Amino acid sequence: MIGTRLSMQSPVPLKIGVLGIAFLFSFPAGYLLWRNFTGDTSSLKLLNKSQVLSPLQRSLILSVAVSLTTALIGIVLAWLTTRCDLPGKRIWKIILPIPLVFPSFIGAAAFIRTMNPGGFLNGLLNKIGIDNVVEIRGFFGAWFVLSLFCYPYVYLPVAAKLRHLPSSLEETSRVLGYSPRKTFNHVVFPQVAPVLGAGTLLVFLYTISDFGAVQLLRYDTLTRSIATSQLANKSLSLALGLFLLIIAGIVVFAERMISRTSISSDQKSIGPPLKYSLGAWKLPSFLVVSLLTLLSLGAPLFTLSKWAIDGLRRGSGNGHPLTLNVQQVWESTWNTLSISVIAGFVTILAVLPIAIVISRYKSKVGNLAHSLVIATFAVPGILIALSMRFWSLQTDWAYNLFNNTKALLVFSYVVRFGSLAMGVVLLSVAAVPNNLQDAGQTLGVKRIPRFFRIYLPLMSPGLGAAAGLVILSTMKELPITLLISPLGFSTLATRMFSSFEEAFIAEAGILAVILVALSSILTWMLVIRKSEHL
Amino acid sequence: MKHPTKIKRLTTNIFKIALIATIGFFLSSCGDEKKELEGAAKDIFSGECVNGTDASIVIYSGRSENLILPVIEAFECETGIKVDTRWGSSTEMALLIDEEGNKTQADIFLSRSPGPVGYLDGKGYLAPISSNILGGVDERMRSQNATWVGFSGRQRVLVYNSDEFSEGTLPSSIFDLTGADFKGKVAIPGSNGSFIDWFTILIDQYGDETAELWINQMVENGARYYPNNRSIVEAVGRGEIAMGLVNHYYNYKISAATGAEHKASNYVFKDNDIGGTLIISAAAITESSQKVSEAEEFFMYLLSTQVQTYFTESTYEYPIAAGVQPNSALPELEAFEIGSINFDSLGEGFENANRIIESSGILNQ
Repeated sequence: MIGTRLSMQSPVPLKIGVLGIAFLFSFPAGYLLWRNFTGDTSSLKLLNKSQVLSPLQRSLILSVAVSLTTALIGIVLAWLTTRCDLPGKRIWKIILPIPLVFPSFIGAAAFIRTMNPGGFLNGLLNKIGIDNVVEIRGFFGAWFVLSLFCYPYVYLPVAAKLRHLPSSLEETSRVLGYSPRKTFNHVVFPQVAPVLGAGTLLVFLYTISDFGAVQLLRYDTLTRSIATSQLANKSLSLALGLFLLIIAGIVVFAERMISRTSISSDQKSIGPPLKYSLGAWKLPSFLVVSLLTLLSLGAPLFTLSKWAIDGLRRGSGNGHPLTLNVQQVWESTWNTLSISVIAGFVTILAVLPIAIVISRYKSKVGNLAHSLVIATFAVPGILIALSMRFWSLQTDWAYNLFNNTKALLVFSYVVRFGSLAMGVVLLSVAAVPNNLQDAGQTLGVKRIPRFFRIYLPLMSPGLGAAAGLVILSTMKELPITLLISPLGFSTLATRMFSSFEEAFIAEAGILAVILVALSSILTWMLVIRKSEHL
Repeated sequence: MKHPTKIKRLTTNIFKIALIATIGFFLSSCGDEKKELEGAAKDIFSGECVNGTDASIVIYSGRSENLILPVIEAFECETGIKVDTRWGSSTEMALLIDEEGNKTQADIFLSRSPGPVGYLDGKGYLAPISSNILGGVDERMRSQNATWVGFSGRQRVLVYNSDEFSEGTLPSSIFDLTGADFKGKVAIPGSNGSFIDWFTILIDQYGDETAELWINQMVENGARYYPNNRSIVEAVGRGEIAMGLVNHYYNYKISAATGAEHKASNYVFKDNDIGGTLIISAAAITESSQKVSEAEEFFMYLLSTQVQTYFTESTYEYPIAAGVQPNSALPELEAFEIGSINFDSLGEGFENANRIIESSGILNQ
């Protein structure tokens, strides 16, 4: 059912469009290549050092561990909330994606402050006689915190897929007498596996590029080496950046090889997906999901709210006044909201042609563009920001046109987060049954109207979810916002970061609480409301 | 498929949000002119603002908005010169100026310490500052190349948990921290800019071998790595670790924010020990700036009595300009005699310092 379609060549305008998009996405990679091979020293030689190898090893170990954990959490949550009679399903749908919005540094800080010696929860546990709580630091800390904040990368696309799966195969399996578990293993899992793989890959790449959490939790990875060598030994930091990109490229390529046959699907969705009763497992499942939410959302939110409330109290008493006024808060909130929604929207427009090309046609260009978009996710934000600056300064017209504009900022976000949208968009495109297209073709509807009348309405829930992923990530983005935004443009995340770094904890808490509230509303509007699909 | 109307509504919603966002996006750029200042800026200048002029400058600030914005607002109000600011870490701002080269928009770079300005100076991106500004500060607080001027200072101190140690049990020199009494007790912010700057000074004063020996012995003695000053002061206050090497002012701010539950105090090493070096915030003008006179006007403002007083009273920093008294809550400054240090060598010594720190293994403790 796939073969005939995929052998078709893509239409030339589409191909050119995809090439153009691939070109735009190649800016960071191009920058790293340029800087590494045109400098005075051949910087790749610097990599042959033990100070590079052990951080690299730690980066890889951590990324694999977090990937596996989030894959497990993601698939279990997706299964429970889409296919089982878990109590409070609507609420979970809104709550479960939210942890994605915590900038990793503030999430990590909240955990350190709560769970470690002298912290609130630590004190509580001491009182009931537990006094050797595991300290949140090092490998354990980084694994724990990143897993809690990254699982939505897996959960969201897998849940989407599970809601789309046709019930027919599962019904057949049940009729043939297979247990629900066997049905899951042999029927459901193989269909979900490619999406699971793609989501897990994102977690892997994100973990590799994360700096905020690993530095606070004191796990010495490659991003730390990049950060500390930036001024002291710039060529080393650039070589490391390229190195990360190469690793990402290899991993992405491997993932493509494994899942390439199964991305496109031509199944018709017949009836609502099959539901399973949890029976005696209802309460335990509910407790597990609650515990997870308590850890990934409740605990950090509790700490951040406490900072905020303490600060507000202090501000209204005679203590130190807050260094934040209402107008600044409003301005940052508005900037955060508008720029992230626009970035989400533009990202969808950018990755949609790639998704169409690889799921409908046989296209080398499409596959190349896809790999480039995904692998770029492993490049730390600061290097993406510098690359954008670099390229926009190469010609006068680009400089005059883009310098100090929000357009360049949005473009940078799109390049940074295109990978997040890619998987879900691909899924939505593949979910449009080919026979509908055939019907449209037979009825003589031209390609472009066909797209707007047939494709877009069918894809829109998935596209909304993809935009949601990008929006939540843009809202917390730091280095690109700091370096690329027009002068004087602040977001909640940038203000939160500068407050926090200078120990203005109350201010950071207030901004963080607003960020979480804002993201909950957006998740509800874009991803959840009135959509049974995601 | 099942709910075409719902899907349609969702699509409309997405468009609606995008539309609202786009409109607001452009509206949000227009701010309204203020005639009088509010909040902390009012403490610096309480008069009526002059009419805005055409003059404007661009600042890349590695010092946080919370600290510097009131100063900028007061400056705009008092002089009518418009200021556009990019906020970020000093490292990020230095990297950005390096990338932008002569096309940078920045007229001024404010750095947390001499390291990042030294980096840019070494690449020739900084312009000399006129001598009437440089003359406003002690010669130890400015560049010998005239490329930057200090505007506030933070002293390196040992922050300690007051439940675990008392002042009398603390060592007089940083070199004594390698002793058995402090095994597993000391936090070091090995990757932090201020610490690396300080370590560069240590190398400059005592040589590679002594500096390397010290940090290696600290690692052997179970020193623990933390990424920055703030996280150390916070951890010491909770009792997670007994003490740490930090800049002095975080403890004041965190105490003010969290009150009595924060059990940390600052300790200054004795007898002008190098452990008590003053780390200076530095201001520089870019080589490509066309607005040198406005930029210098801003520097004069930074060093004016009212701004220097604001720094010390509100942010607990040490004033740099001659004649301004430090906040009464701060101990009298007996900082390490820094007159002999050529701060401009910091830029060059940076890489060496980083290499020694990294190979000591502290970053993975």
